[in-house]
Amino acid sequence: MDFSLLLGLGRFVLATTLLLLLTIPTAFVVIQLELKVIALMQLRLGPNRVGPRGLFQSTIHGFKVLAKEDTVPDQADRATFTLAPWMVYMAAAMSMLVIPFAPGFVAADFNIGVVYFFAILGLSVVGLLVAGWSSYNKYSLLGGLRSAAQMVSYEIPLTLSVVGVVLLTGSLSFSQIIAHQLAHGWNVWWQLLGFPIFFIASTAEINRAPFDLVEADSEIVAGPFTEYSGMRFGFFFFAEYVALFIMSAILVTLFFGGYLAPWPFPAQLGGFIGILYGLLWFFAKTYFFIFVAIWMRTTLPRIRVDQLMGVAWKVLLPLSLINLFLTAIAVVAFKL
Amino acid sequence: MTAVDPETRIPDPIDLDRGEEARLRAAAGLAPPSAAAGSEYAGFELVGVPDRPLQTEREREMYTLEEGEMLLNMGPQHPSTHGVLRLVVKIRGEMVTDLDPVFGYLHRGIEKLCENATYTTVLTYVDPMDYLASMHNEHAPAIAFEKLFGIQAPRRAEYIRALVVELNRVFSHGLMIGFLALDMGGLTPILYSFINRDDVVELLAAISGQRMLFNFFRVGGVNWDVNDEFLSRLGTWHGTVMKSIGDNEKLITENEIFKGRTRGMGILSGKQAIAYGVTGPNLRASGVPFDVRKAHPYSIYDELEFDVITQQSGDVYARYLQRIDEIKQSLHLIDQIMDKMPHGPVQAQVPGIIRPKPGRAYGAVESPRGLYSVYAISDGGPTPYRFRMRDPSFISLQVMPMLMPGHLIADTMAIMASLDPVMGGVDK
Amino acid sequence: MRLLVERFPETARDLWTDEDTVEVQLPRDAVVETLRTLRDDPEFGFFMLADAAAVDYGIGHHFEVVYHLFSDRHPAWLRVRVPVERANPRTPSVTSLWTGAMFHEREMYDMMGIVFEGNRDLRRIYMSPDYRSFPQRKDFLLPDDAADSSAAGVNPLERPETWDLTTFSRELTSSAATYPPPDTQVDVPAEAYPHGQESADKSRPA
Repeated sequence: MDFSLLLGLGRFVLATTLLLLLTIPTAFVVIQLELKVIALMQLRLGPNRVGPRGLFQSTIHGFKVLAKEDTVPDQADRATFTLAPWMVYMAAAMSMLVIPFAPGFVAADFNIGVVYFFAILGLSVVGLLVAGWSSYNKYSLLGGLRSAAQMVSYEIPLTLSVVGVVLLTGSLSFSQIIAHQLAHGWNVWWQLLGFPIFFIASTAEINRAPFDLVEADSEIVAGPFTEYSGMRFGFFFFAEYVALFIMSAILVTLFFGGYLAPWPFPAQLGGFIGILYGLLWFFAKTYFFIFVAIWMRTTLPRIRVDQLMGVAWKVLLPLSLINLFLTAIAVVAFKL
Repeated sequence: MTAVDPETRIPDPIDLDRGEEARLRAAAGLAPPSAAAGSEYAGFELVGVPDRPLQTEREREMYTLEEGEMLLNMGPQHPSTHGVLRLVVKIRGEMVTDLDPVFGYLHRGIEKLCENATYTTVLTYVDPMDYLASMHNEHAPAIAFEKLFGIQAPRRAEYIRALVVELNRVFSHGLMIGFLALDMGGLTPILYSFINRDDVVELLAAISGQRMLFNFFRVGGVNWDVNDEFLSRLGTWHGTVMKSIGDNEKLITENEIFKGRTRGMGILSGKQAIAYGVTGPNLRASGVPFDVRKAHPYSIYDELEFDVITQQSGDVYARYLQRIDEIKQSLHLIDQIMDKMPHGPVQAQVPGIIRPKPGRAYGAVESPRGLYSVYAISDGGPTPYRFRMRDPSFISLQVMPMLMPGHLIADTMAIMASLDPVMGGVDK
Repeated sequence: MRLLVERFPETARDLWTDEDTVEVQLPRDAVVETLRTLRDDPEFGFFMLADAAAVDYGIGHHFEVVYHLFSDRHPAWLRVRVPVERANPRTPSVTSLWTGAMFHEREMYDMMGIVFEGNRDLRRIYMSPDYRSFPQRKDFLLPDDAADSSAAGVNPLERPETWDLTTFSRELTSSAATYPPPDTQVDVPAEAYPHGQESADKSRPA
């Protein structure tokens, strides 16, 4: 038995377990941020009772869903109904595996990290569709079908806009992409068209406003989650916020240099300090984009389902193809 | 009350056995339940068809499904049906093909209550009808009763009446804007609207003593004269209101998503609007200049200068702009009223229990939702013999089945919110 | 008002006016035709149906359907009163003139039990579909009235078994598709309240 293989396996198991455990606090933080930021934007006070300055409000919400009754509709398909939240949550949690938080601080640095990420994240649509279908509720059914249509449509411009980055950097590994940005500057300067496409498509991919049609509460109550209660609903809820975190993290990694500082000095920080410095910049950038997503939710009304499809197929898809061609030409012409 | 015999207990429809359900369905001309064996989802699209014989031609048309159609029951518990409105929507995919509004979940029988109450107490019963326009609710019966008794409110009372109903109109229209945005998924405008509403409500509380159901009007006058707190609050509010309305406008009016979802949506032509009995801002947004304040001036509206504002396109966006314009017009009216307000008493001499001569009277006001009118019949006794209220949002909702076919589920909420129904008024 | 007399000498009766309302009484058969003329004739121009209400004048008297019309050519509301027999409460529907009369008529049917012939959606609007009484009639007793009367118990119209869905649907299916039954119980029989006749008859002549 090769010892190093065992060591690698052990590291992998440890890292995935840690990440899985990390998702819940991440969701708590993002939810707390959303509660407070939305409140301030709406001239309200927001949570200010639970814990110091109301900091434990979302944590209490999390424990609340644990304590609530778990109901299953009479005519629901019990097996798939139970399975669906798990699928959605695991899709979100597993895609966290490839995010480089800091130099060397990554659970699994695959050489096909980008492919893995979008493959796993795409699985959540299956969970939503299953949840919608198994609930025996018309709102759930509509929501499930909406989620299928929306996420499948937006995955195309999303991945096409990433292909531009991949062409530019010449690698599918996130650490390589970051290394390339260290040498050539952030990708966003080279992908001025690719970044907005990715930003819009990723917002739609994780069902955030103004593309939150899947759980449009003023139309179809809560979409696929209508019949869920207790911790099963909690899984959907956490998965949504974990997905928001992950999407912001990937956005930062692909276009904004990941854990790199915006200026080139200090060029190389080694060891523990380097990791801390990387984490600082990584979380600062990630939470900035989470803030932008919350900002959009407060400001914009929801888009309609036909407009949503129109944006995906008539605007974003041609634009992402143009972006791809331009990038390819630039790569060949300037030998980037 | 005698005890209810357990034998004749009302059976819960869910407890009906299968045979009974089959018979009911056969009576309704529907397929028997789960007789279409095979899929466990058989009959899924039929959930929502009433379990009783279909009664009318229209009902049969509504509840007969073609291939690919499904019934969707929105309400009475639904996040955005403005209370307890229930809309049974027939959909084909996301496309709405037909719609049936169902009322009565908030029915309190206010007309009957008022027929058993004295003339003075009627004014307290009508308050919770259209609970966003309580002042207007009280105004129409006050007018009708004053006609019945042949008395006239003092001029200062009429000015105060006009002042408070215009204040009420400002916050009612403001809330409509917020709810319209909320039903489209915009979370913030409703909170800005409520901040504005809170200011107005505190104002009205300063003059009437209550925050929601004001109980301010009296037969032959109003309850209180304006006081110092009211005046100082009015001054402060007047300085800030345009800013708070403007905040909302900045968020909504030029928002591309909002415009994309409201322009050309739910177009109601002027002719249709008249045929369907739509009144108020919804009618004026369709280009018909009908405003009770101009058409049959009541109170002191013939002494004030204002124009009837109209929009031309008659879509959801026009109905939104109409509300914004009317808020500005109401502020202008409030200025004029404060300028011209005369001195004098605010309450005419009225006996404690009023027994008018037998007769009939019709009082109509322009409420924020349209023509709100009261038809009162007196037989000489201390209570009205017949007390009839026409609530504008009840009548306006009739256009929903006409407007909806061809729109999407999401537009149901936008169009409904643009008609601005208040279920307290719809269900009386 | 003068116009009304000139144009409808034989149908319009009992013209009456107060400060801002002109009142006219029409027989039931002439309602639709007269209202159509009032709506379409440029001399009248009553294009808007402001209100439609039903009035119960008590046992032994008639019902009345009251329309209020608005015209931009005349300074007054026009009130059209149409008496309807109590024993046979039927009157033609005006939904062919104003589609918006639909909910008015549904409400009048629900509350007073007046059947509008030609209305294609005449069903209960506020009360539940299996409700069998008409609450705004003057012979509909409130629980207070029942407590006052010496006849113990609530009004027979309010007895719980009449709400029974099963019985209700069985009766309906047996009586084929003639819903609403034309003579759903209208009056409280006098013998049901041997001692409480006064309280049962709350009617007051107007």
